Amino acid sequence: MTNQKKWAKNKHIVQELVRRSVKTQYRNSVLGVLWSVLNPLLNMLVMWLVFSQIFGKNDPVYPVYLLTGNILFQALRSATEGSLTCLVNNRGLITKVKLDNFLFPLSSTLSSLVNFGFSFISLIIIMFFMQVIGGYQLFGFQILAVVLMLPAFLLFEYGISLFLSVLYVFFRDIKHLYRVFLTLWTYLTPVFYKIEAIDSSSAVYSILKLNPMYYYLTYFRDCVYNMNYLGQGVPSWKVLGLLYLCGVVFFLVGFAVYKGLNKKVISYV
Amino acid sequence: MGQNNNDYLLKIEDLDMQFKIPALKINTLKERVVNLFKGKKIKAKTLQVLENINCEIKKGESLGVIGHNGAGKSTLLKLVAGIYSPTAGKIDLKGSVVLLNLGAGFDMEANAEENIYLNGAILGFSRKEMKKRFNSIIEFSELQDFIKMPLKNYSSGMISRLGFAIAIDVHPDLLLVDEVLSVGDANFQKKCIEKIKALKESGVSFMFVSHNIQQVKNLCEKTLWIENSKVMGYGSSQEICDKYLEYCNNKKN
Repeated sequence: MTNQKKWAKNKHIVQELVRRSVKTQYRNSVLGVLWSVLNPLLNMLVMWLVFSQIFGKNDPVYPVYLLTGNILFQALRSATEGSLTCLVNNRGLITKVKLDNFLFPLSSTLSSLVNFGFSFISLIIIMFFMQVIGGYQLFGFQILAVVLMLPAFLLFEYGISLFLSVLYVFFRDIKHLYRVFLTLWTYLTPVFYKIEAIDSSSAVYSILKLNPMYYYLTYFRDCVYNMNYLGQGVPSWKVLGLLYLCGVVFFLVGFAVYKGLNKKVISYV
Repeated sequence: MGQNNNDYLLKIEDLDMQFKIPALKINTLKERVVNLFKGKKIKAKTLQVLENINCEIKKGESLGVIGHNGAGKSTLLKLVAGIYSPTAGKIDLKGSVVLLNLGAGFDMEANAEENIYLNGAILGFSRKEMKKRFNSIIEFSELQDFIKMPLKNYSSGMISRLGFAIAIDVHPDLLLVDEVLSVGDANFQKKCIEKIKALKESGVSFMFVSHNIQQVKNLCEKTLWIENSKVMGYGSSQEICDKYLEYCNNKKN
């Protein structure tokens, strides 16, 4: 098969797999895809009730802060958790038809992007409310800069996804380990608290600064809502460069692990 | 051979296939670590599935593959389809190939419609192209009333109908058929065999794994008989099939 044909074939497969995963998520629910918009909203509401007096005292637009953190981290969580089991779950395809195994984590990553798109709608809704009712000027042109970070973020997610998906074939218990790791990771990312609240000389602070998600989230927040107005930063090219560097490194490591183990996958899956 | 050297569609040379099977299957991190401390070495057993297979299929010609269960027939088809890569030897295929075995490329949670698109994508066709073929596939499979039903509720006969209908609609150069006709009912089997004959006339080659010796005799010019991973016979279907039946009878007595 020529390379061009191969690419076309892989594109069709990924399209079908993404369509399948987005569809099956909501197959048996009345509200259907609307859940993707409602879910982050409800989630945010719960967290807002709990945390607004603890972490959000000085932030007039704390709901927006929460929601931005939640939906970005949720994208990472669903992409990587979905990828973890994807090769094993699709063993029916892997052992019976010829196709490239890297397509499964790829489609899991891309379906999380689709869901991220839906969640973004809920973010826009909340921002709109805050602007109209609260009178905060949140919208600005810099929101378009979100598009710039997406490829870097996808590479980052895909790298982790590739790594986890092949590893899971050989070590089925990393599912539990990864869940614990994700919880830890959530707490080590300023999703609902502010990094300013942490003592900058503490060990936690230095770990936080080493966490790639911190930078993805910071850039994301800087883009999404007009922080100028609240006396905070604007999206910086320097951070964006860092995001791409990080994305590429994670992808390369993930792909190397995948390459190394992929040949054995078919007999272990 | 001389001038005819190049008009084969598939050529298999000195093919060997081994599976490495660990004596005890370890697939968790915990077990790995425990074993490391115990100092146990995990020995892998090597299983010879195919040994020194040689055969050839010319364009428009069909090859039957017979032998007892576990002889290595399905593995051979999977090798030709490119799902496994051989331990040693060469498989030279000049054209497109589709492997048809029960439930291949299907998602049991999805319905027939979704599976036609998924399966089509795996075979290299876009949704748009598959839409054009959709009606003829459904018509051939006679599953009009079950389009929206998840495949997990299908009978094995219905699944094989769907698989067969898709595979014949995409016209590969070589169609590998692994035991799928045997689960269909008599009417559908007859319909399939007629379709296979028509496809053969239009230049499609087949490779059949079947336990229905009469069918192999009827449809294939040549037959490959595998027993215990080795070739027991290769040649004209008439001759090889008779030998095989004789062998089976002798074994019984």
